[in-house]
Amino acid sequence: MLTLGMTADIQGWDPGVQPSYQGWSADAVWDSLLRCDKTGKPEASLADKWEFSADQKTATLHLREGVKFSDGTPVDAAAVKTNAEYYATAGGASSRWAGITVTTPDTQTVAISWPAPNPLLALRMCESKIATPASIQGKKFDVPVGSGPYVLDVANTTRGSVYTFTKNDSFWDSSRFPYKKLVLKVLEDETAAVNALKTEQIDGTMVSSATLEEAKGAGENIQTLKGSSTTRLLITDHLGEKIPALGNLDVRKAMNMVFDRNAMSEKLYQGHASPAFQIFREGSDAYIPDMKDPYPFNVDEAKKLMEKAGYADGFTLQIPTMTGQNHETLMPYITQQLAQINIKVEQVALSGPNAIAELLSGKFPVPLWQLGNYGESLQDISDYVLKDGIWNVSHQPDANVDALWATVLSGSDTERKQAQQDLNKYVTEQAWFVPMAYMDRFYASNPKVDVQESSDFSGLHPLLRDFK
Amino acid sequence: MLSLLKSLLRSAAILLLVSFATFCLMFGNGTGIARAILGYQATEADVQRKVVNLGLDRPLFVQFGDWLVNAVTGNLGESFFTGQTVTSALSTRVPVTLTLVILTLILTLILSVLLGVAAAVYGGWLDKVLQFVAVLGAAVPPFIIAIALVFMFAISIRLFPATGYVSPDRSFSGWILSVTLPVVALLIGSVASAASQFRGAVLDALSKDFVRTLRARGLKESHVIFRHVLRNAGGPGLTVLSLQTLGLLGGAIFVEQVMALPGMGQMANQSAQQGDVPMVMGTVVVTIIIVLSVNFLGDLANSVLNPKARTR
Repeated sequence: MLTLGMTADIQGWDPGVQPSYQGWSADAVWDSLLRCDKTGKPEASLADKWEFSADQKTATLHLREGVKFSDGTPVDAAAVKTNAEYYATAGGASSRWAGITVTTPDTQTVAISWPAPNPLLALRMCESKIATPASIQGKKFDVPVGSGPYVLDVANTTRGSVYTFTKNDSFWDSSRFPYKKLVLKVLEDETAAVNALKTEQIDGTMVSSATLEEAKGAGENIQTLKGSSTTRLLITDHLGEKIPALGNLDVRKAMNMVFDRNAMSEKLYQGHASPAFQIFREGSDAYIPDMKDPYPFNVDEAKKLMEKAGYADGFTLQIPTMTGQNHETLMPYITQQLAQINIKVEQVALSGPNAIAELLSGKFPVPLWQLGNYGESLQDISDYVLKDGIWNVSHQPDANVDALWATVLSGSDTERKQAQQDLNKYVTEQAWFVPMAYMDRFYASNPKVDVQESSDFSGLHPLLRDFK
Repeated sequence: MLSLLKSLLRSAAILLLVSFATFCLMFGNGTGIARAILGYQATEADVQRKVVNLGLDRPLFVQFGDWLVNAVTGNLGESFFTGQTVTSALSTRVPVTLTLVILTLILTLILSVLLGVAAAVYGGWLDKVLQFVAVLGAAVPPFIIAIALVFMFAISIRLFPATGYVSPDRSFSGWILSVTLPVVALLIGSVASAASQFRGAVLDALSKDFVRTLRARGLKESHVIFRHVLRNAGGPGLTVLSLQTLGLLGGAIFVEQVMALPGMGQMANQSAQQGDVPMVMGTVVVTIIIVLSVNFLGDLANSVLNPKARTR
């Protein structure tokens, strides 16, 4: 039996609204069309053959023969079509699947087309969770019915507390999941989670640097996930529409120069981080290995830039804060350092149901966040750099970004990789971000469980298939 | 009979008022709730569609009216986030919290009467210890006590589980083990405060003329204390006990969090943060019903003990 702790409850069993972070329950019950490795490269899954069209609009998938959902109905092209069309309107994934059309040339082949070139076809296929058409058509999401490696054991499940699964022996890749039973326990309080781990009530949980030593001291195995998250200020008002000063490159550069990244890594993160000079994950296509610190820590120089830009007296910046984002540690330092160039930070606490909407509304053009970096940097560019990226909260147009993205969409593999690096270079030169530190994340597990690597392309934790 | 009816009407009015106030507080804006449900990736159109689907675009009074009409018929709606019915969620959550609260109340009653009487009658070091423990118990919040208990009795000596709840119909011994530490965590503060109230009330009763008269008639001391003094002192003690129910429910939220018990506190906390209006309303209604019931029972017990109370 494998028992894992989850730091948050699941959001129910709607396949269209499933987070990838700690998405073990979804990975247990549903299978995906393809499976991505940690760099986002696709492998066979429900589809054992696939091709992406040269114009990067269409993914054609040949489904594995003989696969059935746990209720006995076949996983065929019609089922995939129902799922894909549902994603386009379901909510959670809808912006990524919006406007798709699906054709089914035969019962085992399905072609999903996007209205515009989409270089992230592989990731979309890997994120898909294929549920029975009956559950989707009837919007019956009480009990999940899929074709994944496990089946929910309803009798031994208490929502919000414990989810129990039994192994689906007819799963096509059953040998990769050695545990007969899977139990997911909701342990929102980190102290409770670590206590449960120490007393062997669970076999693994995410831990923060605050409880890392305690877990280590108890003899737990620690997997350190490096470089998967970057702490950064996202200066999204490049045109200075909301705060005119932010439209000035010298101001954005000055904001970069007041942070001592080495000191942050050592002191604020107690050595559990390394300095970041760019926003992409090391090893991804957009990452530039030999990029030196473009804006070395130099407050005097920063002051001169502010003066040159005509903002020697500074301006006021509202930065949103939320619990659970390490803001209580970071914000005092950010506030103090920006004050050195007379930028007065007003913290605005966001909480409750409106928090996410407010955060992404563009009302606060410079959020501070510890954001994940993907193994596939195209997803980072899509989320953080493109005009409609969710984290590019001011959504301002930029001709250079558009031109480089056009190369990503139409170029060869080499050109595409170069365009990504050029995009990285461009946003760095334009100081669109203030990257500060690559923070380490930790997964603590019982030494009896073999979990040597994390194949999650978000790099945030091990996936179910990583537990041996 | 009339006072009973009045009490029930008063309870219904409180229930209605608190429900409405909670609904107003939770109402916020529908767009925010829909966005929280659908996540970062949802398009604006999807968010707006969700707002309409959930009926969050309607005026506040209409939404509350609908909720109220359904609630009266026993339908508390479904979670915005998980689709689970609120009654089904409560059916697993309420027993956990009620177990903690009821066990703590019963043990508090027994222990605080014994300790309060002993401290008042014998005085001396026992009284001093009780007063010291009362201050300490009131000063240290239950969740700190829970952390310490888990460290001592679940991690250092593995006598009890560190987290989780076992239902008694699955394993009675498992249930006892799973509730021991959380109940003790709640009990310490609760006994400390109730015992000193009983102590004060017993001391007060002991100084009354009727006690001197009873003793002069040669009645046994134990008879005087347990038959007469305690009956007089019981009223204020029971009032404190019933008032403590609210504090215990509050304390249970944190103890449930620290020990990962799937109770109402944890559900209320999580639902309130998400803006899951039906779930929050469900927990609020049940909590008010529990508090009102305990207060009602407290009044009833008080009136049995003290005939003067019945005439008020």
